[in-house]
Amino acid sequence: MTSSDTILKRKRRSLILLLAPFTVMLSVFFLVPLGIMMVYSFLEPGLYGGVEWNWYPYNYGRIIGWPLNDYEEFEPIYLKIFLNSLQIAIMTVIGTFVICYPAAFWVSRMQGAKKNLALFMITLPFFANLLVRIYAWLLLLRPTGFFNTVLQSAGLIIEPLDLLFTNFSVIIGMVYILTPFMFLPIYANVEKLDYSMVRASQDLGANPLQTFRRVILPLTAPGIIGGSVIVFIPALGNFIVPSFLGGSKVQMTGNLIERSFLQSRDWPFGAALALLIMASVVVLVVFQLSRQAKAEARGVS
Amino acid sequence: MLDKILNSKIWATLFKGYGFLFLGFLYLPLGLIFVYSFNANSINMAIWTEFTFDWYLTIFGGASSQSSFDAAFTESPDRIFEVVKHSVIVALSASTVSTVIGTATAIALARYHFVGKRFYQALLVLPMIVPDIVLGIALLIFFVGAGFKLSLLTIIIGHTTFLSSYVFVVVSARLAGMDTSLEQASADLGAGPITTFRRVTLPQIMPGVVGGFLLAFIISLDDVVITYFIAGVGSQTLPLFILAMMRRGLRPQINALAVLLLLFTFVIAAIGLYLRSRKS
Repeated sequence: MTSSDTILKRKRRSLILLLAPFTVMLSVFFLVPLGIMMVYSFLEPGLYGGVEWNWYPYNYGRIIGWPLNDYEEFEPIYLKIFLNSLQIAIMTVIGTFVICYPAAFWVSRMQGAKKNLALFMITLPFFANLLVRIYAWLLLLRPTGFFNTVLQSAGLIIEPLDLLFTNFSVIIGMVYILTPFMFLPIYANVEKLDYSMVRASQDLGANPLQTFRRVILPLTAPGIIGGSVIVFIPALGNFIVPSFLGGSKVQMTGNLIERSFLQSRDWPFGAALALLIMASVVVLVVFQLSRQAKAEARGVS
Repeated sequence: MLDKILNSKIWATLFKGYGFLFLGFLYLPLGLIFVYSFNANSINMAIWTEFTFDWYLTIFGGASSQSSFDAAFTESPDRIFEVVKHSVIVALSASTVSTVIGTATAIALARYHFVGKRFYQALLVLPMIVPDIVLGIALLIFFVGAGFKLSLLTIIIGHTTFLSSYVFVVVSARLAGMDTSLEQASADLGAGPITTFRRVTLPQIMPGVVGGFLLAFIISLDDVVITYFIAGVGSQTLPLFILAMMRRGLRPQINALAVLLLLFTFVIAAIGLYLRSRKS
């Protein structure tokens, strides 16, 4: 055996040693559970929780409102809730974008230590506990909360306004917790913005609006799209925000999943709903990856 | 023209004003909790009556000078210490194990070439992309089906799985900017792979490793959704405890507890962000 053979062997052995723990863990505690969940979504719910091992496509049927037997009617309530979740997630993306886009320009035009401080200040709330951040908005929006108390003592309103338990309050809560996710990708792009392109566009006679629409917006689009994807994903499946800020009035698919697992104990139906969320995420991620790959290919050629 | 507009005084002032509004949006709601936590008024927190430390004292079992109605809502201090202990045990174990696993994987991917590397890389960040609720219920189904008893151990396993991905990403970023010539020099001078790792590689990536550990620690400490599904009866963590408190109604004690948790996580996050930003 030559020495280069032993080196090669030793290298391969250390590679396997280094990769083994994550590979085993990822397979056993991530891929296998996701696989089992997928199988569950096609099984019949047991009478007292658990599952019966029978082929049962009605979990998905229920989502689109398909009646299981003569006693049920066509009622796409779960589909409506899913569409409402999509709407809330999209509004959250738009909300975070509107807030973060100008802020990214504000930070990108700063210098040195000031810029680092601003970035630090914007990143820090990401680490605040999710519940605490939602709790803050409960304190602000509830009938005896900050806004209502201020408005009442100023004499502007007599009865407290219904600020809580609306799509609007859920969207505000989502925007608040997801702002850092939108800011960082947009900022990374705005920071690299080539101002000579902006100047060139003006020299060629474009007005400010045209320059913005035709030059600045396309150049920062990758950051906007990247941010939108990573805001949309946690917003779509969220159940903590709607359960506190939406109450029983605003339901999202996340609430349905939670309830079918912890209250009605209809696990297969919950699994089917979770797969619906998962499928939306996969579609988005594949779209984003293929877009990135295309952009890279264009960059090389 | 646009350049001139953007650089003009009016726009600079507008941007600055907007910037402060943006920071206000991020911090004022949290600041409100801070102010409320010292307000003696437990009927309507939005109306200031007088300054008090009572809410901080009562969560640790101190007597409240407020009405007995508030005392009825006071949690026994043993409960608080128990859930904090659970959270710390979970966060320390999960972040330690995931730091080791994530770092090993990052080194393997940075230093070796093998077939299917890009696919493997994509697989590694998958746990960060999958929505929390999906991961939570998938683990719940798995643990119950495999006969695991839901306990601190199941929480630690669940956290370690997705935290390893975070550590992997942070350490990989550090390795990407690293000079490999030192490692080669060390090998040329006759050091074995273990010595090279211990004396050359590890010191260089240390800020990334510590940063990844701290990030993992905070995410584990703060995690609500995944823990919610895989915690057993006797394994409540601090966030789940706060969740249960919030569901029973808003009491001033929540303000005090929230402030303490915020201060603690902000200090750790600040150290972590500082370490990550520091150049080698």
